[in-house]
Amino acid sequence: MIADILTGAIRSGTSVMIASQGELISERAGVINLGTEGSMLCGALGGFAVTVWTGNPWIGTLAGGICGLLISLIHAFLVLSCGANQLATGLTIMFFGMGVTAFFGKNFVSQQIVGFNPVPIPYLSDIPFIGKILFNHDPLTYLSLLLVPVLWYVIFRTRLGVILRAAGEREEVLFASGINPKLVRYLAVLAGGFLAGIGGAQLSVAYTHSWVENMVAGRGVVAVALVIFASWKPLKAMIGAYLFGAAQALQLTVQQQGLAISPYFLFMVPYVLTLVALLIVERRKQSQTPEALGKVLAGSS
Amino acid sequence: MSIAATITKDNKSFLARNQSWMIQSAAIIAPFIVFGIFLTFYEVNPIELYWSMVQTTFGNLYGFGEVLLKATPFILTGLAAALPAKAGLVNVGGEGQLAIGALFATWFAVFYLDTMPAMIGIPIMLLAGACGGAVWAGLVAVLKVKGKLNETITSVLLNYVAVFIVGFFVHGMLKDPNSFNWPFSPEIANTLRLPIINNTRLHVGFMIAIVLAIIVWFVLSKTRLGFKIRVLGSNRLAAERAGFQINKMYFWVLIAAGALAGIAGMIEIAGIEGRLRASVGTNFGYLGFLAAMMAWNHPLRLMASAFLLGMISVAGNKLEIFSGLPSSSVNILMALVLFFILGSGKLVKK
Repeated sequence: MIADILTGAIRSGTSVMIASQGELISERAGVINLGTEGSMLCGALGGFAVTVWTGNPWIGTLAGGICGLLISLIHAFLVLSCGANQLATGLTIMFFGMGVTAFFGKNFVSQQIVGFNPVPIPYLSDIPFIGKILFNHDPLTYLSLLLVPVLWYVIFRTRLGVILRAAGEREEVLFASGINPKLVRYLAVLAGGFLAGIGGAQLSVAYTHSWVENMVAGRGVVAVALVIFASWKPLKAMIGAYLFGAAQALQLTVQQQGLAISPYFLFMVPYVLTLVALLIVERRKQSQTPEALGKVLAGSS
Repeated sequence: MSIAATITKDNKSFLARNQSWMIQSAAIIAPFIVFGIFLTFYEVNPIELYWSMVQTTFGNLYGFGEVLLKATPFILTGLAAALPAKAGLVNVGGEGQLAIGALFATWFAVFYLDTMPAMIGIPIMLLAGACGGAVWAGLVAVLKVKGKLNETITSVLLNYVAVFIVGFFVHGMLKDPNSFNWPFSPEIANTLRLPIINNTRLHVGFMIAIVLAIIVWFVLSKTRLGFKIRVLGSNRLAAERAGFQINKMYFWVLIAAGALAGIAGMIEIAGIEGRLRASVGTNFGYLGFLAAMMAWNHPLRLMASAFLLGMISVAGNKLEIFSGLPSSSVNILMALVLFFILGSGKLVKK
């Protein structure tokens, strides 16, 4: 049972994990994007639709990423070029994502696809307990596991990472070194949208193999919350995402075991858990907030 | 010289005011044009649709009533976003606050009020709804004040939790025993239904919403308390230096906002639905937030923007009937409206 929950944690947490890594890039540059929810929705539908048309889940996933990127472009334009409020814009994009995907997704509701299936890694998947949990997943999940260390390395060990973080902390420094901070932020938001789209596509193309209206169900918002919970660190965001996934897996396991707990309480657990996690971490991390982001969250920017 | 300086300054602000009016109007019209182009791709004539929208609304009393009916919850959830916005808070929890308000109101109506006369029952039910919304907003407020958590993120997360809580009750303790296992509550007593205006489906909930909007406007713009709230919202540092009890103000502003959204939930139950379903008021909270943004968080202008959203909602049903496009396609129009308003915000402020 524990192995089931842990396997399920990775399986259902991966979409949130990928999206949270994207949001992390964006927030490191000082832009919070609640539109992640909208990007994920469009990624889920775009990825699903293109998989239906081409029969190739890889092309579908790429298309999902591009859909997410296009949606985040709206956010970047309104926030960075028009000076709109980041939180309000993000929410509008979330709402826009719901409307657009409900509209274009209507014909895809009952469609079926082949999608990604779990590929056990030879030998490694035979290890008892761990093999089942870690080495029996779809290809996107393996790739997402690679994403975390790569992102960590880029953010904390490369010049690119310094530029990204400077955009979120002290844009004057970037100006002084001849780099346009606005451009950096644009690219960061677009990268975030792309990953959110991939996350959404993982949900529809690899996890459920179907499209259901509003299927992201708040995972994008959770991804944003997790980044704050993780103090803007990739590895912690990954752990948070799997925690959310575990809460969802728990719900399935409990139902299979036939325990007499209302499913509605179990549905709530992941969201409540996210709130509690935020609350516990909040006290220790004020100084780690990227400065530009702190202004947004305090409502003065 | 100083006089000359004042005059030119006045002239400038006069021009700026006119310009901001023009930009605001353009921001409202442009999305309709964009959406119109979008519609033509689906072989819907946008001009016909917009014209029929105007005709339905102003053509007869019934249609006008339908629009007001749709606008009612938007006014209240809009106030739930606009009031905190004046204090510098972003409350997107209208959705959940409405749902919990509807839950409380139905609970009281079903278990305690079914034999009460309308004069006592309806006000108690209204109060119950307000309490429900206030409790839910109270969670956001406590997390904000004690836990220092950003209210935007917590209020959105709590929206999802609220929907599951309502789901829990309509599948359990509040389920109608005669419903053949459908997940909804028993119907509330007829005495508790809001009185209806002749020849329409319009109920007095609309009056309640208008009165509350006027009260919020009055408090914000004419009282000491409202002044303090606006100071807090426009310059937190000044409020701190002036010795305001900021946390206390945040707390009570959020509670009041929740109560307003909760009343919207009660009105949905007592005015339209008659019983609680898990889907009560879906998207009303987000649309209210949108209405508030469109009105620049001004309570009186909010009535106009809520009315406009009401017109669009009614048009959505029409669109579905006449052209087979899903009614959710008007959500795209609403989001477009807000995109343009957000994008033009900086131009107007200058």
